[in-house]
Amino acid sequence: MAEHGQYLYAVARGVEPAALSAARGLHDQPLRVLEHRGLDAVLSTVDLDEFGEEGLHRNLEDLTWLEAVARGHDAVVQAVAQSGAVAPMRLATIFTSDDGVRGRLDELYEALTAALDRVEGRHEWSVKVYAPERAAEPSAAPTTAPGSGADYLRRKKAQTLEKQTAEDDALRIADTVHDTLAAQCVASRRLRPQDPRLTGHEGTMTLNGAYLVDDHLAGSFTEVATRLAEENPQSRVEVQGPWPPYSFATLEQP
Amino acid sequence: MTEVETRSEPQGQISLVDLLDRLLGTGVVLAGDVVISLAGVDLVGVRLHALITSVRAEMRADGRDR
Amino acid sequence: MNEPIKVLPQRLETDSESVEKDLFKLVLTVIELVRQLMEKQALRRVDEGDLTEEQIEGLGMGLMHLESAMQELKDRYDLTTADLNIDLGPLGTLLSE
Repeated sequence: MAEHGQYLYAVARGVEPAALSAARGLHDQPLRVLEHRGLDAVLSTVDLDEFGEEGLHRNLEDLTWLEAVARGHDAVVQAVAQSGAVAPMRLATIFTSDDGVRGRLDELYEALTAALDRVEGRHEWSVKVYAPERAAEPSAAPTTAPGSGADYLRRKKAQTLEKQTAEDDALRIADTVHDTLAAQCVASRRLRPQDPRLTGHEGTMTLNGAYLVDDHLAGSFTEVATRLAEENPQSRVEVQGPWPPYSFATLEQP
Repeated sequence: MTEVETRSEPQGQISLVDLLDRLLGTGVVLAGDVVISLAGVDLVGVRLHALITSVRAEMRADGRDR
Repeated sequence: MNEPIKVLPQRLETDSESVEKDLFKLVLTVIELVRQLMEKQALRRVDEGDLTEEQIEGLGMGLMHLESAMQELKDRYDLTTADLNIDLGPLGTLLSE
């Protein structure tokens, strides 16, 4: 006998039922909008075997499960975003009752209102910078012939310095890109660089930036990013967007 | 030569890692320890963190003693 | 949630055929780690300036032979340094390069 809970995807204002009609919640459940003090909570019913404390503990470490839930969650957020400003919730924000939802909306009322105001007419853009590719290991033919032991150490020292300089340069470029872009937009955040084994990317990610940009200024934002890429030709600059404002409207859970 | 990749496909084009970074407050990482398995049976968990820490401590101690 | 979600401990899958190569990879990785640490330490000692020219020469030759021997071992099993680079998650990769 499974108990059920309510999965809260996002909070918005003035959600149009038409925008949600084509969308479904997790496990193909219907979406429901709970209106409270002018805020719209977008919900669907879930099984607490899967989303209760024990279930989550188990499932959160399963990348397959995470992927399915993240995709489902994002699909709902994107659908809600059709109606206007949206404050997405963190993954797996669960309530046992509608009163619980209303209670949380009361607790977070000011913060949610501020978040929705903040992202109105804006989207998130992601800009990532990857360090210049360095030449592969300089250790060509392994030989003990050329030079002395002291020479060997000098060579190693030079290689270490060269590596350090390259790293410093790469970080400086990342800082410049971020600072320049941050000045172009309403809000910005530096997220942790991502693990290449998760993303499959090549090279070292030196910047994982998130930028909140006015919709009508998106064109000039991407132009600035293009200019920065041209000024730093050895680096790789990747711009993605527009996305729902995940990094700027999602509230930290207490 | 410049490389700016601009993607403007708002519907479901966010990569999984980008999504997880944002939906999970703390992101997701790959665990760092190594598990050695034989024929599908996990046998040995190698705690490399402990190994590295002790090796580095040894190196530091050697540097000071001489 | 204060800590990141951890998934997929890195598994070295071995079966009766690849046991040798996979375990060898693990062993070589640890040796390579020690070798790199020794080189870093040697450079530090040389910088500190308290070694005689003879000692510096001896250190350098020894490390040079070590690097050469390591390359030979890697070649024998057709491994690159990148192949050996086991990741420690939050600690970064095992080898610095």
